[in-house]
Amino acid sequence: MCLVAATIIYPLFFVVATSLRSNVDYKRDPFGIPKEWTFDNYLKLWNEYGVGRAFMNSLFVSLTAVTLILVFATLAGYALAKLPVFGAKFFTTTFVSVMLIPGPVLIIPIYLVLARLGMVGDYSGLILVYVATGLPFAIFFSTLSFRAIPDELLEAARVDGAGFFRTYWSIVRPLGTSAIATLAVLQFLGTWNELIYSLILIQDSKMKLLTPTLASIGKRFLTDQPLTSAGLFITAMVPLLMLTFASKYIMRGLQVGLGR
Amino acid sequence: MMRQSKLIGTLAVLPSFIIVAGFMAFPIVFVLFISLTKTNGLTFEWLWFKNYLELFADPIVHEVFLNNFKFVISVPLVIFAALVSAILLFEQFKGWKFFRVIFFLPSVLSVVVIGLIFRNAFGYYGSVNQFLGLFGNEPKQFFINSNYSIFIIILALVWSGFGYQSLLLLAGLTSINPAVFEAAAIDGAGWWRRLWSITLPNIRRVLGFVFIINFIYTFSSLFGFIFVITAGGPLYETTTIDYLVYLRAFSSSNLGSGAALAVVLYFFIGLLTLWQSQVFKLQRED
Repeated sequence: MCLVAATIIYPLFFVVATSLRSNVDYKRDPFGIPKEWTFDNYLKLWNEYGVGRAFMNSLFVSLTAVTLILVFATLAGYALAKLPVFGAKFFTTTFVSVMLIPGPVLIIPIYLVLARLGMVGDYSGLILVYVATGLPFAIFFSTLSFRAIPDELLEAARVDGAGFFRTYWSIVRPLGTSAIATLAVLQFLGTWNELIYSLILIQDSKMKLLTPTLASIGKRFLTDQPLTSAGLFITAMVPLLMLTFASKYIMRGLQVGLGR
Repeated sequence: MMRQSKLIGTLAVLPSFIIVAGFMAFPIVFVLFISLTKTNGLTFEWLWFKNYLELFADPIVHEVFLNNFKFVISVPLVIFAALVSAILLFEQFKGWKFFRVIFFLPSVLSVVVIGLIFRNAFGYYGSVNQFLGLFGNEPKQFFINSNYSIFIIILALVWSGFGYQSLLLLAGLTSINPAVFEAAAIDGAGWWRRLWSITLPNIRRVLGFVFIINFIYTFSSLFGFIFVITAGGPLYETTTIDYLVYLRAFSSSNLGSGAALAVVLYFFIGLLTLWQSQVFKLQRED
């Protein structure tokens, strides 16, 4: 068992260890213990190769997309779970049927649609695509979770004169906190790690996101493994932190993924 | 009152619906249209099925489709590794929850990160060559040989996928009624016998599910790995369909051809999904 776990841990450990040494030191003895530890690779990447800026760009795009997904999906999920909706079946069918469309199929039409709207090369287009691709699962998930909210509570709120938004904010949101947190973590991981749309929709080097930036650094510095390793760790750090502190939520999402 | 709340409910779903319809449902219809035209994105010339006919006659498309089938080798490998880990986890020794998180680790990483780890490791100056060098071997250029390249990508797929899937299989294992195991143990069935006659038959539903999602995955989601590890080369020898859609979309003057390829991929995956639901129906009936 420990052996199996080691096959996962060792490569990651190797990346971290490599990223903390100079290229000369690495080439001398890649598996040995480094003679000296250094943060040079990180500083160089962050300041000179645009990784710092790309990190911030990715953070901005991911947070915006996730916030929008959460707002739209919880509204729709609440309505579909608890309220009468015109054509509810039609909406649900639409959301479910687009859930399994593989990303590469849509790159050409989405690119053309966004080009027509003047949104290529702009974060608004990219964020819209992330929201659109994230929503179907998010709605499915929140509908499922909000069904568990007792009807009596909603009825009581209605009798007390609470309107739609009041009920949404004071009952659905607090009772659905753990579902919403799960959703936030899963969607954040999805957008943070996404590659194909961030690659084709953003060309301006100042606006590039982290994953395409890392991919091009990996291609440019083939012979400088410590430098690329530092880039790998910077990119992997955020998901790893989330796994460390929110593994409870991630595991819960996993179970719903199976039920699908 | 009822009518009013129905209106509010509908309004709450509407923003999501508009976004999904505009950027997922409409594009699917649009890509069908594009695939029947010759276009540079601005003007569309109606061609009927010419793009498709050219596609079916294109030797590169044949080669690429065959490449996808080579990656299918990863499916039994991932499942085998996942099954072994799931059975180990199932013994529920101390600290198994910690291992569960470790197993999930590669699933939270970007394909760019996973791809680069493997590309670095097998690069000319990579750790694999350095390691082989300890035994006096000359460093190898792994990526000029397509067999090595495919092997490395498959290794990356197995490494990044088996942990998550072992958790799926574990969920299947824990849903088996423990009384069945006890009864078998009383009857004197050994560990292997129990594995073959009880454990595996009882999780065949989850096994089927994992098999098919992996199969679909090798046709729809290799883009990131290919882009980072080999860029499809040497020549087209490691290019997959989804990567070819990307290449055709942004390097040729006829987007229609790339769109046709995307549509073929979409229908192929649709068929696989249909097959999946059929398999599940059969299993529910027995």
